[in-house]
Amino acid sequence: MARTLAMFTDTSLCIGCRACQVACKQWNELGLEQPDWTGTYQNHTHFTDKTFRLVRFIEEPGAKPNGDLAWLLMSDVCKHCADAGCLNACPTGAIYRTEHGTVNINQDVCNGCRYCISACPFGVVSFNETTGTAKKCTFCNDRIHNGLGPACAKACPTESIQFGFRDELVARANKRVETLKGMGFKNAQLYGADSGGFLGGLNAFFLLLAKPATYGLPDNPKLPQKNLLADSLLSIGSALLVGIGALVAFRGRGAGKGD
Amino acid sequence: MSLLQSPHWPFLIDVYFFLGGLAGGAFVIATVANLLDAARYRSVVRVGYYLALVALLPCPIILIVDLGVPARFMNMVLSFNPLSPMSMGAWALLGFSACAFFAALFTFLEDAGRARNLSGPKVIVGVIGGFFGFFLAAYPGVLIGATARPLWIEGHALGALFLAVGASTGAAAIALILLAVGRRARHEIAAVRAMTVLALLIQLLSVAIFLASVQMSGRPASVAALDGLTSGRFKMMFWVGAISVGSVLPLALGLVDLRRRSAALTALTSVLVLVGGFLVKYVIMAAGQA
Repeated sequence: MARTLAMFTDTSLCIGCRACQVACKQWNELGLEQPDWTGTYQNHTHFTDKTFRLVRFIEEPGAKPNGDLAWLLMSDVCKHCADAGCLNACPTGAIYRTEHGTVNINQDVCNGCRYCISACPFGVVSFNETTGTAKKCTFCNDRIHNGLGPACAKACPTESIQFGFRDELVARANKRVETLKGMGFKNAQLYGADSGGFLGGLNAFFLLLAKPATYGLPDNPKLPQKNLLADSLLSIGSALLVGIGALVAFRGRGAGKGD
Repeated sequence: MSLLQSPHWPFLIDVYFFLGGLAGGAFVIATVANLLDAARYRSVVRVGYYLALVALLPCPIILIVDLGVPARFMNMVLSFNPLSPMSMGAWALLGFSACAFFAALFTFLEDAGRARNLSGPKVIVGVIGGFFGFFLAAYPGVLIGATARPLWIEGHALGALFLAVGASTGAAAIALILLAVGRRARHEIAAVRAMTVLALLIQLLSVAIFLASVQMSGRPASVAALDGLTSGRFKMMFWVGAISVGSVLPLALGLVDLRRRSAALTALTSVLVLVGGFLVKYVIMAAGQA
């Protein structure tokens, strides 16, 4: 496997211009959608089958160093988890990991069972009614295999979205957190940078200025397949009880109580 | 604020989970009866194996129609992914279909007098199919447990519950058919009755473990989803439909019926078990995707 590629989204640098969102739409030819009225500049409410990059606009009282209301911006995207729930769930092999560590859906193999949609801890994967397949960010698979960064990172005017080798980006991100803490942003933190942390680390990780829940991110997302062992063992236990029950029910009356 | 997406599996998938569980349960019961005393339980074996095949027939159609690209249904069996219960379930459905077909075929050949003794092959197909049958009944529960949906991700006994529902509904359906075709062999109905009661006990135990494990997980999103099931918009369907009328009442009636041995009571109990078994699966699917 080649050196892992990553995207680092530093939300402290985001100005909410949504160039990333538009660049993503254009490069990936995602087409038109009915806008959502969210009450803010945010459009849409959440990822859709035609929106893979989404700038979230969040107003959070007291999150600024001086205690004022903070206007938090976050350009959200598929996290390309190192332990990916969608990839594990896929029954057709349509979802695969590239040699760069990113996660992709092969549109020619996906048969639209929608299991991956329920298995994504971040609600990223969406269903496209027209193609009948599951859709999500491709990490601009065509671009990164031709020496270009993802369209969103390329379009970002403030380097809020940075593209590069994961190890280099994590080192840079850690320095940035120190700088921000020094400036008084006491809640500045990385989300998904730690490859020993949840989901084996995220290949699209974030720098947040408030706790993850403020951005609608789960604090400690769990890999859905972690349940398989316990659930299977309990099922086997239930099967044993049913089997014993059947033996009791049918043996008790086999020996000629015969009414 | 939850940003999770729902797969929006339609009502037909609930029907498939019900029919697949019922087929698996009926098959396992027929196999156990066949192994213990094939002559004495001739009707149970026959009804169980025929029922398993008939209940199974709509299943592949439902699953294929539900796909976004139905023409690609074969992609499910061009891949083998042990981490995906959906992949394993597709394989189990395939294996179980073969066993259910041959079990019904052997039974038919015996009934029609075309073959004198098929007991050997029938036992082999029955035992292999029994394992597949258990798997087919349980895997939908394990499948939904391995998602990020808040209600399901913390409820660890869903596979156990779905398997028990398969057994109870399978037994109830066999009892109803035995009564409907007017079988005189009352010892057979008595055995199926006992089976229904035991399966209902396991079913209620599994529901209790499911509710307790979600509650004790302490995850706010999961506990909130559980509230939706037990005290929110699904509370009537859950407590009245699935639990009271669909599980506890037939359990009480079934216990009385063990002594009373009344055909009318058995029929009523069986209908309630079938309705309740469907509602248990339906309400968990609906609340989990809401």
